[in-house]
Amino acid sequence: MSPHPQNRQPDAQDVLPSAVRELGGPSGAGDAVRLSANRRDFLKVAGFTLAAAALPSCSRAPTHEAIPYMEGTPEFTPGNAAWYATLCGGCSAGCGILAKVREGRPIKIEGNPEHPLNGRGSGLAGACAVAQATVLSLYDRQRLRGPVAAGAAASWEAVDKAILEKLATLRTAGGGVRVLTGTLSGPTQRAAIESFVAAFPDGKHIMVDGLSASALLDAHDELFGARVLPHMRFDRASVIASFDADFLGTWVSPVEFTRDYTRARNLSEGTPARHFQLESRMSLTGASADERIVLAPAELGGALAHLAVRVAQKAGRPLGFPAAKVTKSLGKALAGIADALWTAPRGTSLVVCGSNHLTDQKLVAQINHMLGNYGASKAETTLDLEAHSNQKLGDDRAVHALVEEINAGKVGALFVAGCNPVYDQPEAKSLAAALKKVGLLVSLSERVDETSAAAGFVCPDHHALESWNDSEPTAGTLTVAQPVIRPLGDTRGMARSFAVWSGQQAPASDRDLMRAAWQKHVAPRGASPAAFERYWNQSVHDGHAASPRLRSRAQATLSVPRLEGLVPSPAAAPLTAGRLAVVLYPTVGMLDGRHAHNPWLHELPDPITKVAWDNYAALAPATAARLGIEDGDVVSLEAGGRTIELPALIQPGQHPDVVAVPLGYGRKGTDRFADIGPSWIESEPTVAEGGTVGVNVSSLLGREEGRIRYAGLAVALRRTGAKKPLARTQIYGSQTVPQHIRPGSDPRPAALSLTLAEYMHEEAGGHATPGHAAQPLWDDDHGYDGNHWGLAIDLSRCTGCSACVIACQAENNIPVVGRDEVRRTREMHWLRIDRYYEGEGEDVSVIHQPMLCQQCDNAPCETVCPVLATMHSDEGLNQQVYNRCVGTRYCSNNCPYKVRRFNWFKYEHADEVENLVLNPDVTVRTRGVMEKCTFCVQRIQEKKIKARNEDRALLDGEIKPACAQSCPADAMVFGNMNDAKSRVSQSIAERRSYRVLEDLDVRPSIHYMARVRQREERNNRDD
Amino acid sequence: MTDLVSPMPPSGVSIGSEAGSGTAHGHHGHYATLREPLIKGNKSLAQVTDDICRPLEGKPTRLWYVGIATSVTMLLVGFAAIGYQMYMGIGTWGLNPTVGWAFDITNFVFWIGIGHAGTLISAVLFLFRQRWRTSVNRAAEAMTLIAVMCAGIFPLIHMGRPWLAHWVFPLPNVRGSLWVNWRSPLLWDVFAISTYFLISATFWYVGLIPDFATLRDRAKTKIRRATSAVLSLGWTGSARHWMRYELVYLLLAGLATPLVFSVHTIVSFDFATSVIPGWHTTIFPPYFVAGAIFSGLAMVLTLMLVARKVMRLEDYITESHVGSMCKLIIAMGGIVGLAYITEFFIAMYSGNRYEEFVFLNRALGPFAWAYWIMVVCNIVTPQLLWFKKVRTSMLTVFILSLFINLGMWFERFTIIVTSLHRDYLTSSWSDYSPTSIELLTLMGSFGLFFTLFLVFCRFLPAIAMGEVKGILPYGRKEKEPVQ
Repeated sequence: MSPHPQNRQPDAQDVLPSAVRELGGPSGAGDAVRLSANRRDFLKVAGFTLAAAALPSCSRAPTHEAIPYMEGTPEFTPGNAAWYATLCGGCSAGCGILAKVREGRPIKIEGNPEHPLNGRGSGLAGACAVAQATVLSLYDRQRLRGPVAAGAAASWEAVDKAILEKLATLRTAGGGVRVLTGTLSGPTQRAAIESFVAAFPDGKHIMVDGLSASALLDAHDELFGARVLPHMRFDRASVIASFDADFLGTWVSPVEFTRDYTRARNLSEGTPARHFQLESRMSLTGASADERIVLAPAELGGALAHLAVRVAQKAGRPLGFPAAKVTKSLGKALAGIADALWTAPRGTSLVVCGSNHLTDQKLVAQINHMLGNYGASKAETTLDLEAHSNQKLGDDRAVHALVEEINAGKVGALFVAGCNPVYDQPEAKSLAAALKKVGLLVSLSERVDETSAAAGFVCPDHHALESWNDSEPTAGTLTVAQPVIRPLGDTRGMARSFAVWSGQQAPASDRDLMRAAWQKHVAPRGASPAAFERYWNQSVHDGHAASPRLRSRAQATLSVPRLEGLVPSPAAAPLTAGRLAVVLYPTVGMLDGRHAHNPWLHELPDPITKVAWDNYAALAPATAARLGIEDGDVVSLEAGGRTIELPALIQPGQHPDVVAVPLGYGRKGTDRFADIGPSWIESEPTVAEGGTVGVNVSSLLGREEGRIRYAGLAVALRRTGAKKPLARTQIYGSQTVPQHIRPGSDPRPAALSLTLAEYMHEEAGGHATPGHAAQPLWDDDHGYDGNHWGLAIDLSRCTGCSACVIACQAENNIPVVGRDEVRRTREMHWLRIDRYYEGEGEDVSVIHQPMLCQQCDNAPCETVCPVLATMHSDEGLNQQVYNRCVGTRYCSNNCPYKVRRFNWFKYEHADEVENLVLNPDVTVRTRGVMEKCTFCVQRIQEKKIKARNEDRALLDGEIKPACAQSCPADAMVFGNMNDAKSRVSQSIAERRSYRVLEDLDVRPSIHYMARVRQREERNNRDD
Repeated sequence: MTDLVSPMPPSGVSIGSEAGSGTAHGHHGHYATLREPLIKGNKSLAQVTDDICRPLEGKPTRLWYVGIATSVTMLLVGFAAIGYQMYMGIGTWGLNPTVGWAFDITNFVFWIGIGHAGTLISAVLFLFRQRWRTSVNRAAEAMTLIAVMCAGIFPLIHMGRPWLAHWVFPLPNVRGSLWVNWRSPLLWDVFAISTYFLISATFWYVGLIPDFATLRDRAKTKIRRATSAVLSLGWTGSARHWMRYELVYLLLAGLATPLVFSVHTIVSFDFATSVIPGWHTTIFPPYFVAGAIFSGLAMVLTLMLVARKVMRLEDYITESHVGSMCKLIIAMGGIVGLAYITEFFIAMYSGNRYEEFVFLNRALGPFAWAYWIMVVCNIVTPQLLWFKKVRTSMLTVFILSLFINLGMWFERFTIIVTSLHRDYLTSSWSDYSPTSIELLTLMGSFGLFFTLFLVFCRFLPAIAMGEVKGILPYGRKEKEPVQ
């Protein structure tokens, strides 16, 4: 068996389900125009025809030459999926993904198990919620289907001609030509843009990140002489101190960090890494922390300086400035952190900081340096400067300079690609006006967005799944993107567009262009010219190319950092009375707003607040009480004449001086979701008339020394008197029942946590026993002679990132129901993540618990259905028979876990293009029937059939439900509980293992493993 | 046996015909002094027939027209709401995955409960020889049937796919060995309720046969004569007919009596056999039966007090009838109150944290208002009936009966919704509030109830003439008290 059974070896061009000629594709779309129509091509044509037939809005008609699936092909079997390794386009982290293609349609994204960034080996790989949702964006009807000139559809020839004419005048006249892109680390696109801008006397390529890490890069530029991001190796860490860095949620490379972090905190291998989180709002990362310290944004600089001095004292290397004054409790906490960092073996501690303030980042670099955390790749330290990261390359100061240039009218031509400055830069408003002054404004956006609306020409780039592309997330690791579907529209790859506009003879196709770039830029670093063909094919097949030799490109030198002149920033002025410090932060789904057209991600509840379809102003409980504000009260945030109105949300664990607001909402065009979900007399539209999903808060961003400032702006907060109830999937946050009803009661034992000491000490409750199983009255109904499927979920590993929620949604055709239905807590997710707070006020801990059908052996749902629509399989599954269900909902009432989902309405799958994403192996449910998690029974069946065909037993770990498959933290293990050697059986035998509501004797097949926190006392007891 | 229970008229007087109606009788004061007569006004047999048939034979009163217009409007609006819900989906109700039942099953249990008094009065009181039942049993039985019909709507429409409702019956089918689930209490409900409805309907119809004969004999139009002739099954009022009638009636009463207890017991199994705290309670069967009888009696009172006024039947439904009903209500209210207290005690005594919480949450949680409405209406209200002044004030009793109806609706609402909305995992806790569709559906069920009841009053004798005549003193030995 090939080591990559799921990866088809791409035979050069034919990896494209290319239907070019047969479908009468435009000649301008230069992909795959090799016209050797062999049998394989015919099959691909046929496959794509299905898709094309359902694309009524596309200009192509289905071909009459399509042939039915009557001729077999050794490579392509209808009903079997093909898997292609490619690059995720969800953010700039550059994870490797596998795209599952059925009959020509990509329908599911999974992580690439072999990819160095996010692979976990043994067929498993993390893929975050965003990565998995990008497959839905592919089928977005609102993506541009071709170039646009002056607001009207145009042909590529006409657009290119007009652009080239304007560029020609600029070349002679010498006006500034600027290319503004998001982070681009791939050699192909960078080379294309570099050669484009080089052709002009004043040409420049500037990169911008919607979620900027500019200060972090600049700090390394100043200290180490290389503007790079060190590759953070959380897997090597034994102590982690994070200052407002949400590295498990949204910061830099969350999937990779989550994998590495959970590896470093593996309980079965020595002492797990200890994690301190100091932050002003409640973040996903803070939820996983062992110790979480709440500080105001204004305290951050002082805290870092204080820590730096303390570490310096231990290192015997005075820094030349005194320890900043901090509050007593913070000082104590920092002393503890300094101790922990210093006592950790050298090079195994890690301090990270999410601030975009240069001094903060320099202090962090200084602390890390004193702790010996910087090193070359071989040194195995936590910060690798040799194989540095390229996941954030944006330069805020350059962008700022560009904004000023534009305002000054110095820019003759501006090309904007992969970024949306009019939406996400602080100067959005003035920028929109200034852009009109730019003589030639070209956007490569895939849709009409805030920036491209002002552009004279929109030359849409492909969707990531339609592109040939590459990315170099860390020096020496190249991720390769190959298209998994022919472009649905008449779009053109970015690199090719720039190649065309360079005025040179552009290569015939995206692929040829990329091959040429690799021959020129990559091959010299990675392979001998003779072996290039093999190297290329292998890289495309694997989805990545890695070679230590590749790293020689890394410019970073490990010189002693230049530390002189490092002065901590002066303590920020305290907030004036009645003002709050605003903290703007990205959410797991929306990030910088680039996914605002993805309904899956809008409906994905935020892992902490559990709010969907909105952003909000989060306030600490004490602050809300002081201001008399309740959940859902609309408040106005006012600063410097800018006013923003948002619904309030009370957020435990947040600093009382802070109002935290998610970024990424209020995108232009999101009024398209007004009608999503059922419409009936009492329903409310998802988006109010003329509004957007959420509110754009970029006007509250600030700029400091040219860099974007996300936190600290003082705002006046007022109640407006209006109400906007938030759509939340969980309305009660604690496991302890309300005190006014049942005073002094213990928390309910759903999500259990232990301290490390408790866990180590077996007699003192190291065994998590939430209840005792009752003595059964009757003999067992079910024998489970063969397999008995079970799932073990490790709460110590689960970070709550919600990748599994979207994995399940994509795999199981779960509908999007809209804001109003979520508000009625009728979201349809089969797998939800329960978030419980322990403690009160600021000092709360969070525990996440994925909750899905527990597949009980004594299932209460099975006994009550009058028509036997839900019954037990001989492998322990609670099967739901959709076409037998009459919809009494008795099963749901009788489910102690409330994991069943009812089809309250006929959830329209009206968008025929979007329906192409549906998994043909899973029934789409009609209204009036109950549905729920099936343990991905279609995957179980697939593997069972495969094993039977191969006349062998199923292997442990061969079957991977979508949730377990996608988990970046490896928190879920699925397998046969009858097999004592299986991973799941071993997990269940673990001391921390327990079942939720064990004392009901429903005998769930899902076992949880208690969360272990490294802290002194258990704080989930109120007494 | 027959002389004890006999409604048989004195020999020579056939109550099934006009023959006896001409006979006038004087006062019979000497045993009336021992006890208030059950029927006031020294009615002759003919007067009884005339009084009871009057509403059927004359033109309906304006009040009747107002009543039927209102009820039919409510019915139509309610059914429009149901139609909308059927068209759109269950989502037009305020339910969610945590609160999967609310108004639907509350209304169902409420109406089934109402449907208990009829059979209780006809069958159980018949077996206990409570002669005062004769004035109210016919209407109470009709109410039972109508209430069960109202109840029957809800299990049907609460289904996600009501067009497949026949799947709950064990019908032979071609879908392999597909059968119903005999372990499901919902299936038990199907049989319990359909059995109850059939027996009650039969019981009611058998009781109507002599009266149909009277109607036939008095009919002035062909249609009325023809229909009542068919429905009276050739009744002649002969002694043989009466004997067989008595026997069948007694047997049916014996059959119906256990059903009074079984139906609500089985309805309570829907909850008692579940795992949900607040539902999973062994006290539910007796508690539900007592509650059902309690609510049914209240509803009988509500209807009777209106009917006696509107249809001028004060002589037949006297204060003493109302008094007896009130006493039963006190008794049943006591049982219900005891059940409420027992529930709390058991929850506390169980040491089960979930159960403790559910009950405290009922009294103190988000639906505390519903709980306290229930307690005040069901425990406090009946206590007022201890006072004779209250019992004899028809208006007061009427108002109190409305309170009990309200309280019993909230009892079911409290049991169903508060148990569900705060269940095991706090993460799945949710809120519930009814939508307009649910409110209109409830209104529609009342519309159906009153429409059918008004139609019943218009076309069928609301009081069992044959039985009432049996408790008049004719043909009895002097001084024999009639009880």
